[in-house]
Amino acid sequence: MDRRSFIKLTAVTGASAALASCGNPENQLIRFVPDEDIVPGIAVWKPGVCPLCAAGCGLTVRVMDADAEVVRNGQLGIVRIAAAKKLEGAPNHPVNRGGLCARGQAAIQITYHPDRITQPLKRAGERGDGRYEAISWDDALGEVVSRLDALEAAGTQRALAFLSRGGAGHRAALIEQFLARFGAPPPLVYELFGDEVLRRANAVSFGREQLPTLDLANARFVLSFGADFLGTWNSPVAQSVAYGAMRQGRPGIRGGFVQVESRMSQTGANADEWIPARPGTEGVLALGLAHVIVAAGLRPASAASRAGALIDGWSDGLQGYAPEQVEKITGVAAARVDRLGRQFAEMRPSVAIVAGPPLAHTNGFFTAVAVNALNALVGNIEQPGGVFFTPQLDLAAALKMKTPVAGAPAPPFRLQPEGDEDDPHIGDAQVLFVDGANPVFTAPRLWRIEQALAKAPYIVSFGSFLDETAVRADLILPDHSFLEAWSGAVPESGATVAVASVAPPVMRPLYQTRATPDVLLDIGRRLRRPLNLPWQTFEEMLAAAFAALPSATRDVDAWTDAQGKGMWSGTLPAGLGRAASLPAPPAARPLAYEAPSFDGDAGEYPFHFLPYPSTTFLDGSLAHLPWLQEMPDPLTSAMWSSWVEINPATAERLGIGQGDVVEIASAHGSVRAAAILTPGIAPDMVAMPAGQGHRTFTRYASGRGSNPVEVIAPVTEPATGALAWAATRVRVTRVGPPDGSLILFAGGMREHPEEHR
Amino acid sequence: MPRWGMAADLDRCNGCGACVVACHAENNISTVGAGEAARGRAKHWIRVERYWEGDFPDVRVKFRPVLCQHCDNAPCEPVCPTYASHHTEDGLNAQVYNRCIGTRYCANACPYNARFFDFFNPSWDKPLHLQLNPDVSLRMVGVVEKCTFCVQRINAARVQAKAEGRGVRDGEIQPACAQSCPSRALVFGDLDDPESEVSRLSRSPRGSKLLEDTGARPKVTYLARQA
Amino acid sequence: MTHPTGARINNDLIRPLLLTSWRFYLLVVFFGGFVVAGVIAWISQMYYGFGIAGLKWPIYWAFYVTNFVFWIGISHAGTLISAILRLVNAGWRRPVTRCAEVITVFALMIGALFPLIHLGRPWLAFWLFPYPSERLIWPNFRSPLVWDFFAINTYLTGSTLFLLLPMIPDFAVVRDKSTGLRHRIYRVLALGWRGTPKQWHRLESAMQIMAIAIIPVAVSVHTVVSFDFSMAPIPMWNTTIFGPYFVAGAIFSGIAGLLIAMAVLRKFLHLEDYIHPVHFENLGKLLLVMALLWGYFVFNERLVTYYGNGPAEMTVFWQTQRESFAPLYWTMVTCNFVLPVVLMGIRRFRTIAGCVIASFGVILGMWLERFLIIVPSLGHKYLPYSFGSYSPRPAEIVITGATFAAMALLYVLFAKFVPIISIWELKAGEHPSPALIPPATAEHRLGELHL
Repeated sequence: MDRRSFIKLTAVTGASAALASCGNPENQLIRFVPDEDIVPGIAVWKPGVCPLCAAGCGLTVRVMDADAEVVRNGQLGIVRIAAAKKLEGAPNHPVNRGGLCARGQAAIQITYHPDRITQPLKRAGERGDGRYEAISWDDALGEVVSRLDALEAAGTQRALAFLSRGGAGHRAALIEQFLARFGAPPPLVYELFGDEVLRRANAVSFGREQLPTLDLANARFVLSFGADFLGTWNSPVAQSVAYGAMRQGRPGIRGGFVQVESRMSQTGANADEWIPARPGTEGVLALGLAHVIVAAGLRPASAASRAGALIDGWSDGLQGYAPEQVEKITGVAAARVDRLGRQFAEMRPSVAIVAGPPLAHTNGFFTAVAVNALNALVGNIEQPGGVFFTPQLDLAAALKMKTPVAGAPAPPFRLQPEGDEDDPHIGDAQVLFVDGANPVFTAPRLWRIEQALAKAPYIVSFGSFLDETAVRADLILPDHSFLEAWSGAVPESGATVAVASVAPPVMRPLYQTRATPDVLLDIGRRLRRPLNLPWQTFEEMLAAAFAALPSATRDVDAWTDAQGKGMWSGTLPAGLGRAASLPAPPAARPLAYEAPSFDGDAGEYPFHFLPYPSTTFLDGSLAHLPWLQEMPDPLTSAMWSSWVEINPATAERLGIGQGDVVEIASAHGSVRAAAILTPGIAPDMVAMPAGQGHRTFTRYASGRGSNPVEVIAPVTEPATGALAWAATRVRVTRVGPPDGSLILFAGGMREHPEEHR
Repeated sequence: MPRWGMAADLDRCNGCGACVVACHAENNISTVGAGEAARGRAKHWIRVERYWEGDFPDVRVKFRPVLCQHCDNAPCEPVCPTYASHHTEDGLNAQVYNRCIGTRYCANACPYNARFFDFFNPSWDKPLHLQLNPDVSLRMVGVVEKCTFCVQRINAARVQAKAEGRGVRDGEIQPACAQSCPSRALVFGDLDDPESEVSRLSRSPRGSKLLEDTGARPKVTYLARQA
Repeated sequence: MTHPTGARINNDLIRPLLLTSWRFYLLVVFFGGFVVAGVIAWISQMYYGFGIAGLKWPIYWAFYVTNFVFWIGISHAGTLISAILRLVNAGWRRPVTRCAEVITVFALMIGALFPLIHLGRPWLAFWLFPYPSERLIWPNFRSPLVWDFFAINTYLTGSTLFLLLPMIPDFAVVRDKSTGLRHRIYRVLALGWRGTPKQWHRLESAMQIMAIAIIPVAVSVHTVVSFDFSMAPIPMWNTTIFGPYFVAGAIFSGIAGLLIAMAVLRKFLHLEDYIHPVHFENLGKLLLVMALLWGYFVFNERLVTYYGNGPAEMTVFWQTQRESFAPLYWTMVTCNFVLPVVLMGIRRFRTIAGCVIASFGVILGMWLERFLIIVPSLGHKYLPYSFGSYSPRPAEIVITGATFAAMALLYVLFAKFVPIISIWELKAGEHPSPALIPPATAEHRLGELHL
């Protein structure tokens, strides 16, 4: 090549480069996105039921082909399977209407979790050390059957205890039938953040022992006492759907929202007005509003009828709850009480909600009844924009299972060491079945669950993961994941019509697991004295339950129709509804305010301690899902961490800086975690999310953070016996500088830091 | 050609974070684990920003979902030396992972910090990988990734509409975040269609763009909270 | 002390090439060790993933890009100063030009490595090159990084030529003095130099052309480097002053680098007879001028930002002024302004030692300056939720350290194989002896340059 041709070539190259840059070079790129001539994968959408909480949201599950490594007959191979890919809210489901919360989105990781138990296991080491050996299903079931046969032979069927996660679905109905027919007490349901107090209060106020369904979409004013209804409480997706509509769903009308709580929750963060009242005095505030309404003649006291009559002094216009008195008790200014009362009466339809910390005090029952009375006063019960109760399908009736066994039902087991002496304690069980509950992690340390479990001679776990309770089991009979099995749900709330959800398996089981309902049916058949349950499989039971319902589509029976849609909803035929109005036990005497009592001396333990359900992990049962671990907490942006929320003024006084390690100590225990300074908490309170601090719960949660339950005093709400988890006092001490355990996604806390000086 | 855009109603958004996990589920975004998260390598194509206002007891919080704004005048596009970051005909700000060499200049130029760099090869503990969405390519170490407005769903809907001999209907395409949002705070659609829901919302007097003064002309409209 | 004659010059300046002491090997092993460590760190970074560096969301540029700008800045000393001094025909330049020019070439080579080191996928770096490809994809000519590619390549080519051209006669001298393999190598390098008048004429013309051409190239290079920042809509980056500010800073740090190199060479190669205090004095004055100029630019940049009072800018501004980056910021101001102005402004301190101290300060300060331009802005970009802070991890520290060692190593090797002072220029310039002229006499100060 001579010099001239080199120069020519250079010029040509340069010119074409310049020209190329003027054109549209993007067209030459091969995009990562499939273009129109690249066909996206073929997906099938199947119905599902979200298993994570009692809300029972409907799912649509995207199913596509995937290559899975599967062990079959001891041989590892690659098998093309239909795999679930994505969970979405079912658009036509009356509860969640297409929405799905972060937890529900992550539920798919349960199925594909690397630490799922893949086959039956028999304990090979000491209890709790997690050493297990494989056992065949036949041998495993044989073991269980021989244990149950032994109980039957000894006539001690009542020594079979069943610890479950609760819920009112088909699975729970099957468990009840199983236990009743065997002669064992009904299942013991334990939830750390349970709603027993509210259910009981609704029973006495409205005759419905049930969580309410809130018609926020039509409300103009929402007053929430501590209820994290957008985050973790009751049916958060249904409530969020309604919340969006309440704010911007009606032309020209924007619903107002006031939150009363002393630690700002994710829900409270959205309030137009956030009112920190002293812990345990929320009921007084509610009655203060009622006083204002009655005194101002906005509503007659009699409008509250029965719900109001439960409150001492109601008929006299609540003399003791004048705004000035209320201010003294609650710390909320009298003028504000007055204004709120008027707003509540005038901006109708208005609705008050109570749940969470206000009910987790020793006077929680009073608080719930007081808020119920306030609702009743403005006449919003079963009215648009007010409080509804979802008609409940009576599964026992649908399945034609009248009181199944002769004789009075046995009293259930109890977890608490002290209690009704007639009720057997969990430690007295001869055989213990554990299905989804993890009381070792979620029950106060003073209940000594570990010691009680150590006494039980034989424990069977149906869980898919080795959590703190399952690791104490002698036998593990792993359940299918919810995507591999038939699932059903009967939502307690979230819709104004009756709903029953059902979904066939969306994929074949990945492992040698078996659906727990089918296992129970199998055990029932194998017993020396078979239980004679009328179904061979759980599917048959579901079919029977849905066959009793009227079909929503003509020419298709209800069962087929429900399977296609993933749910049945409509009007319940007579006889299939739970008694519309349970005869409420009339309160022995009208309720009066009693100051909440707290565990721990106020001098030695100067702070209220508030453990709260984590937005991501609830009580900790979801801490094993990596998506949720890595999701920034809505308020703190923390990931993979435990933390303690402290008011900045308090922290300054105690010499605590952001991220410093602090110790929270009650009279019963202590935990350490990193401090987060946040303005959304009262200066005399510290709060800590539950969920972390697992000792054993898969690779993602084990040994991470700390568990606030370790600190909780075993104080109970006397009317219901429910744990009063917000009634503990603690002291806070700085232990050391940040230890790197606090992982925050966010940098800044404020949008205009320079304005905040 | 449509011009895809989004409206985020901050009066509806309550900060629940469903969109964050939905995005992970749809777009094969790997979790990085605690150690890497502590080093600031967590990837969230959409994040819900939280800002505190005031002090106890008069304290309020502002939530704001922030994702790639698919700017019409995107600062990330001209700075990329390889055209990995470029504009598609329908207004998406696309990222070609194969073409990305990892200068991270786009991530710097992005005023919204909506771009995330893969510091390691993304990995999934088996069998979590069975969940991966085959319509979304996996990224490799050393590239920048970000929100695509769920382009795989846009294309799927377009293919479907074409097969049925019609245009894409308003509301037919929902990115994973908008689909999961319980309070319906996120609305996606064609900004060039004056009748579409997103157009209507974008014209709302409550609407404004984030960081408008950078001149990036973002395509996400934020509707202000009213109180 | 004798007057260095032609033979003495040859002797003094060629001796390092012909005789090798154990010190040379020690230095090579010492600096080479650091370089090897740096290479290992870089390979680890590619092997394990970029995550072993300390970068994070949203601070995606930090040490590596700081080093890039820093070394490109250092490269501005040599060629630019040498070209200016050649053009004005300043006689005192003769012993200094080559050791200055070589700084440029090596600093550019090192600096140009950093865009590769900092790439997420360095094995695909060739996509930055405008080569004809099957799919007709060119680099994005709108991207300042592509401008960088051209600017740095042009500058590297130009300054390499600028360095190599005047080396030809010296290679011929070495060729004539050596035997064996060495002779054969230098014969190739000398390109057939015979010292004919025609050859001398061509060399002189080429040097004149190069000297003129290289000045705008040098100025443009650092302007283009500054475009990497000023073209992006980022608070405290998006400013028009960055072009001249970067050029001034580059020359500033370049002079400091040159002063250190001169002092080291003078000491270790015993060039006291060639590099005199007057050279330090003159360059020290230049350093003073650049310190003042730098101070002006910083003041200008800060004042305009402060007065403009844009919220995003002010967030970054206060970060450097009084918040997390304040200690680094005020160290930078001390090193870049207070120290050189005091040491170079007072004649008593304008000694070789004073120059070296001031230069070390400036090197540190200018490195910090680049760091403080890059990191606080990226860490505080508009939305406070996405704010972040940065600290380096071992990979970055080792690689950064290795580049300084690489510079030293290249310099040691260069001094070993090439006469570090241009022999023919020295001879041509009637090199005066320090015995006859006291250091820093009036006519040798900068004022004598007849600019």
